[in-house]
Amino acid sequence: MKEKFARWDTLFLQYLKRDWKKIIFWILGVGLFSGGFVPAFEEIAKGQGLIGMYETLQNPAMISMVGPTPIETAAEYTLGAMYAHEMLLFCGLFAMIMSVLHIVGHTRKEEDLGLTELVRSFQIGRQANSLAAMAEVIVINVLLALFISGLLMIFNVDTVSVHGSILFGTSIGVAGVIGAVIGLVMAQIMPASSSATGSSLGLVGLLYIIRAGTDVSNVDLSMFNPLGWTYLTYPFTENSWLPIIFALIFSAVMVSLAFALEGGRDMGAGYLPEREGREHARRSLLSVQGLFAKLNKGVIIGWLIGFAVMGAAYGSIYGDMQTFLESNEMMAQMFAQSGVSIEESFTGTIMMVMIVLVSILPIVIVNKLFAEESRLHLSQLHATKVTRGQFYWTTIGLAILSGLIGTLLAAGGLGGTAISVMSDHGALSIGDFLAAGYNFFPSVLFFIGLAALALGWAPKLGKIIYAYLGYSFILNYFGGILDLPGWFSKTAIQSWIPQMPMDSFDAPVFISITGISIALMIIGYLGYNRRDMIEGA
Amino acid sequence: MTKIVKLQGLQKKFGKFQALSDVTFTVEAGEVVGFIGPNGAGKSTTIRALLGIIKRDAGQAEIFGKDVWKESLEIHKRISYVPGDVALWGSLTGGEIIDLFMKLHGGGDKQKRDYLIKRFELDPKKKAKGYSKGNRQKVGLIAALSVESDLYIFDEPTSGLDPLMEAVFQEEVEKIKEAGKSILLSSHILSEVERLADRVVIIRQGEIVESGTLDELRHLTRSAVTLSTEGDVSQMEFVEGIHDFTQKDNEATFSADNKYINAILTEATKLGVKKFEAVPPTLEDLFMRHYEG
Repeated sequence: MKEKFARWDTLFLQYLKRDWKKIIFWILGVGLFSGGFVPAFEEIAKGQGLIGMYETLQNPAMISMVGPTPIETAAEYTLGAMYAHEMLLFCGLFAMIMSVLHIVGHTRKEEDLGLTELVRSFQIGRQANSLAAMAEVIVINVLLALFISGLLMIFNVDTVSVHGSILFGTSIGVAGVIGAVIGLVMAQIMPASSSATGSSLGLVGLLYIIRAGTDVSNVDLSMFNPLGWTYLTYPFTENSWLPIIFALIFSAVMVSLAFALEGGRDMGAGYLPEREGREHARRSLLSVQGLFAKLNKGVIIGWLIGFAVMGAAYGSIYGDMQTFLESNEMMAQMFAQSGVSIEESFTGTIMMVMIVLVSILPIVIVNKLFAEESRLHLSQLHATKVTRGQFYWTTIGLAILSGLIGTLLAAGGLGGTAISVMSDHGALSIGDFLAAGYNFFPSVLFFIGLAALALGWAPKLGKIIYAYLGYSFILNYFGGILDLPGWFSKTAIQSWIPQMPMDSFDAPVFISITGISIALMIIGYLGYNRRDMIEGA
Repeated sequence: MTKIVKLQGLQKKFGKFQALSDVTFTVEAGEVVGFIGPNGAGKSTTIRALLGIIKRDAGQAEIFGKDVWKESLEIHKRISYVPGDVALWGSLTGGEIIDLFMKLHGGGDKQKRDYLIKRFELDPKKKAKGYSKGNRQKVGLIAALSVESDLYIFDEPTSGLDPLMEAVFQEEVEKIKEAGKSILLSSHILSEVERLADRVVIIRQGEIVESGTLDELRHLTRSAVTLSTEGDVSQMEFVEGIHDFTQKDNEATFSADNKYINAILTEATKLGVKKFEAVPPTLEDLFMRHYEG
């Protein structure tokens, strides 16, 4: 025991000291986001707001995004019920992702960077670092839970009960712990920190999509999903602590598993085997295009599989929609009046969300070029006859190509699965789905353009593009729920584009955004071609 | 002689920091120039400016008579470069990376590649993330030496190499030198520069403070000498050219001006030399000497 964990407490205190600023930002950021919207919801709830929102959120598209509620009639739908319904899943996901990034960053990443090697040369147990990092994440999530609970209580709203507030905060804290244990296990299995982060986030994404399906078809099945153990506590309504117990047992098992796995491997190694490589390069590698394709191959394939799975998962929901409508008269009337079928409405909303996610991959690829530059990977290549333009346009080309394929897989996966599960085949064709997907393609181009602009003129700002994408995501995600002013919604680029197949195609918008995006890419090139390469930054 | 590299008053600022304030030197055809200076003096910055990786603020910089920024691609066809810290893609093998570098440079010699892999004892089938610093350096060196160039730029090429591999590198560089190629060799290892360089350029705080043949520079410095004699060694203390004299029993250690070495030896033999060890000035001594004025 001593051999394994000696002095973990020293490391633990050291980490709290090192990270305290980050921890404060984290708790304030996630905490305020999770607990601070009560006044905004009070606004929504005024008049017929609660009833309207209840009906809106009965739409399968909405359930697949925000989750279910145990409330069965609109009259019982209180402010507390609505708050938990709309916020809990998303906030839990947020806490989970933060924890994944933190735990992998402080365990496997430090191993890759060679910091662990140094630490282990002292009188520190072999697994003390993992234990210290895990303890730190737990402390952070406990503080987060307390902060959120306290914040909710401060608003002093009747239906936001003390009991519910504590459960709401606890659910989010527990979500963070689940994220951390998933990250810790992946950090042992994968051969490097980047793949550990990627696979953990992929897993979280997969759990999210699976629960989207089970929430719509049969909520009981969501109880088998670790992500389900957060929002299925139903704070302010059923106040069930059972999922929390499941989550804690799951976390304990996963932590034991992670420590067993870590004990069985060498530092810097993973469980996935390494093969002997080639002595000579294949012909396909011997060009800038070949090199960049190879460097991005893993990331591209991983994300593309994710897009296809995401499309298929959402597509599987289509089968239950008609059944759902039959059981909900009010919704049936609403759709009958609007002249838009429930499938069309769902396609438009979900497609926008999916295309936001598809945009991540091209941004990753464009930012990769700067990562390569600052890691000195290109030094020796800069001294050859390869031009900067080749580096730049190869990257942009690869980004556009992967965006095109990503859209195809997401929209095709959605459409293919939807058509196969729908009883009424005539409603939507695969062409409608693809058209709806590629209708949003200018927004993908726009993000490539922004990333390219940053690459050319202020490469260190490349990461901010993710923040804007995240902002757009949240805006699009909640845009349907919250009644936002028009100009505010328009700050997300996707809002400019009409949602097919509900709305009809708008050629001028399509062409304008495409044109602006291409202009951004060209401006980015002008900068990239003349700026100093930033090496070792 | 034709000037292969010509730098005149090169300047570069990073924000407020003046990295290069006045860099002026030349590399002639067929010449090996040792480029030395302490960490942070501006060696790598100068080299990056020469390669067109960063843009100079002022001054003239030419390779093969062409501007290094405006005509970089034309220049790059005929140069080879090895950075001081060869960073490689962890997912590719050493062999793959060498092939790629050769292809992107254009016109490599496959046989030379295989010969060098053998000489440097590199395992080309291993993924680069498994390579030590020395092995990464070997990949960069093999790629650079396997292609035909007129100018070779090495930025601390042997950092991380073991002494055997250092010797292999020096032999290979000597071959290039015999073939009449020009070399700009930035290094911390004076013995390496001493063996290979025709001329030495010293940079300090972004400025060239000294340049000349090694002998010319050596002349300005002192060697560390240990001497024990039959007679009373303390008499040596006041011989001209001897500094920092210390004595233990009948053994003295001191530093000696190289230009007085003959006079010092003459005095010492009068006392009957039992032991005489002279360590030539290290790079550090050269600098120390320089800082002292």
